[in-house]
Amino acid sequence: MNVAATVGASALLTALGAALFAAGASVAGHRLRHRALLLAGRRAILAVALLTTTAVLTLGYALLANDFSIAHVASVSSREMQTAMRWASLYSGQPGSLLFWTWSMSLFMAAFVLITVPRIPWGAPHAVATLGLVIAAFLFTLVFFASPFRVSPVIPADGHGLNPLLVDPGMLVHPPFLLSGLVSTVIPFALGTAALLSGRLDGAWVRHARGWALTSFLVLSVGNFLGGWWAYTVLGWGGYWGWDPVENSAILPLLPIIGFLHALIVQERRGMLKTWNVVLVLAAFCLAVFGTFNVRSGLVASVHSFAQSEVGPYFLVLLGVTVVASLVLIVWRLPRLRAVSELDSLASRETGLILNSYLMVAMALVILGGTLFPVFSELLQDARITVGPPFFNEVMGPLFVVMLLLIALGTALPWRRATPALLRRRLLPPSVAAAIAVAVLFALGMRHFGALAATGGAIAVALVTSREYVASARAVGRARGVTALQAAPSLFGRDPRRYGGYFVHLGVAVMAIAVVGSTIYREQARAVLAPGESFGARGYTFTYERLTSREPGVNGIELEVYADIRVTEGGNEVALMQPGRRFFTNFPEQPTGIVALDESLTRDLYLFVQGWNADGVAEVHAFVNPLVMWLWIGGGVYVAGGLLAYGPARVRRPVTALASTEASQA
Amino acid sequence: MRRASLPLIALALLAGALLQASTAAAQVPPSPDPRIEAQAQAIERQLLCPTCTNERLDVCGTAICADMKQIIRERLTAGSTPDDIILYFEQRYGARVRADLPREGFNLVLFGWVGASLVLVAGAGGWFLLSARRSRLPVPASATAGADDAWLDAQIAEDGSAKADA
Repeated sequence: MNVAATVGASALLTALGAALFAAGASVAGHRLRHRALLLAGRRAILAVALLTTTAVLTLGYALLANDFSIAHVASVSSREMQTAMRWASLYSGQPGSLLFWTWSMSLFMAAFVLITVPRIPWGAPHAVATLGLVIAAFLFTLVFFASPFRVSPVIPADGHGLNPLLVDPGMLVHPPFLLSGLVSTVIPFALGTAALLSGRLDGAWVRHARGWALTSFLVLSVGNFLGGWWAYTVLGWGGYWGWDPVENSAILPLLPIIGFLHALIVQERRGMLKTWNVVLVLAAFCLAVFGTFNVRSGLVASVHSFAQSEVGPYFLVLLGVTVVASLVLIVWRLPRLRAVSELDSLASRETGLILNSYLMVAMALVILGGTLFPVFSELLQDARITVGPPFFNEVMGPLFVVMLLLIALGTALPWRRATPALLRRRLLPPSVAAAIAVAVLFALGMRHFGALAATGGAIAVALVTSREYVASARAVGRARGVTALQAAPSLFGRDPRRYGGYFVHLGVAVMAIAVVGSTIYREQARAVLAPGESFGARGYTFTYERLTSREPGVNGIELEVYADIRVTEGGNEVALMQPGRRFFTNFPEQPTGIVALDESLTRDLYLFVQGWNADGVAEVHAFVNPLVMWLWIGGGVYVAGGLLAYGPARVRRPVTALASTEASQA
Repeated sequence: MRRASLPLIALALLAGALLQASTAAAQVPPSPDPRIEAQAQAIERQLLCPTCTNERLDVCGTAICADMKQIIRERLTAGSTPDDIILYFEQRYGARVRADLPREGFNLVLFGWVGASLVLVAGAGGWFLLSARRSRLPVPASATAGADDAWLDAQIAEDGSAKADA
């Protein structure tokens, strides 16, 4: 008997039982008004977390102990793999990634049960029952369709090793963030469901969901940034985002979460958008399930590979049940989802926030359509087509420009109502400044309409946001008798949501400019060179000197071959770059590229070797990518802003207003 | 970083020779005519690898893509137009080798979906905003005293008017 496999498999089976018990005990406890049953249901969720942790630790142990009798271990690991890389083996392959997904989800659920559930007596049983059912559905897959603990009848002497594309340090951080980000959407979903089921549709669930939604937003965003960075430094096509079905699946749930983070402000302050907010959190989770289904089943790559996948049809049913249940719940509660107040004026901050969340939904619909269209084309027309970057850039580019303009507009508008004079004061200066900046860029030779529009939008965002910071700092400084500069840091403590949120907007503006620079103004060159020959791109000369090699002898890498390429600009040496290729013992047909990067604030030099012959004649690709560094800098600002936005608001509200807020919510 | 010694380089070249089947196939000598080479590279950017997912021909290194690159150059030299060449590959490998989605036939459904999504969201949103604007209900007193900083809001608004007056 294999002890590790038995322990792991029984942990998962017990976890499935505990999850079903959590759901059953919550429903029964609620019906019978039995407190002990309700508490037992909550603890069963904690037990699920402990049991899945046990399963993960067991699989980790099996990976470290080279227990190749477990089929999954043999397929994703091998004896000479480094310990750190075995962490990546843990979540590679179908069973591994599903286990990681379920484990991560159970940890979020346990944290939710400990932190939030005791504070929501109105909806605790409903939330816990939802959590139990959701995690039971995934545990069911792990137990019956894709068990990571299946024992193979023949024990191989060594494992197959990790898929070459995953043998990269980026793979140690990118998938955990992405998977955790996707599963974390279950918490806002459970809160929204609890609100619908219990009928407590005032602001209570929204207040509790905000922190969890912010977590989803941050973790998913970081996952996407890391994915872009990994693609950029590993895949060798010079870009970081290719509108791949898998990438689209990762960004889809993020959009309704962003919409919710904006729309919830309107619900909290004005009691509007109640239905809309429920729709957004339910949609986010449905899209996260769709993403897993899409990635796990290979649906979009080909309908045929989907039909062959074991979990594909199961996930399709799961997705269908989630979507239908969400719709039924919302329609059932529609009568209670009436707004308690209305807009004073279209020229208000409320309008900006509402428009933002609409835009996010429109973007999600467009991306979803583009991602799924090849499936319909193949099913209905038997035509296998590709919906790739040209389509998405064409339709999403303008939507991103609209987003920048909406950020600028929404930030400039005051709450409730803007007088025409105030509108002029707030909108005219940034519009004129952005227009002048665009005119200057045009005079300097920038002719691409989309590039000019996006840059103008980004500049407007930066100006409007800076004005808000400066005006606020001045006001606080005046009240305290200090300078604006001294008062500025206290803004983040005073109203972390608002000033943290503005910080995220600044990050988006910086990233927008980086995207324009690196996609529209990229230069690409390719040459086949004998040692000593050179070629050029945008003023740089790339001279190929020779091939060299290394034998790392770990992680299944047999050999790494590098092309030494000296880069000069106007006769001055810039760098010696070494792009190469990596060959794997167990995957002879899958050599991976080693990208060489020379990064600076203005441009990245990006080199990639396609291949060479016995005489050392090599095919080299060179990309000059302007401003890519700012994408990572903007991403850093964005994440920092998201972290700042966690802070509790320390503003003291007048007691009367507080009382009436509660009254209006009751 | 451990640098390679001479024997290792010899080994590498040997390995290179062994791996020639996969690596040498990846090479396509550029056309001697720079005009044709530029045209060829432009065509490569409009095509996708028939075996990989979403991998553009110009950056894909599989043997089949090397063949395609070779054929593009041969046909251009023989006088074919870029459109003919793209059509040739489309007939050979199916519509999925086209990077750009042709706006014809069933594909128009996708563009219709995009248009319908935008119209639906804009229409529903516009209707909601316009209908919500009419104040039929009294605004609660707490409306501006939510979680955000109402005092600062008022201050910023005053700040603006003070500057305008000055």
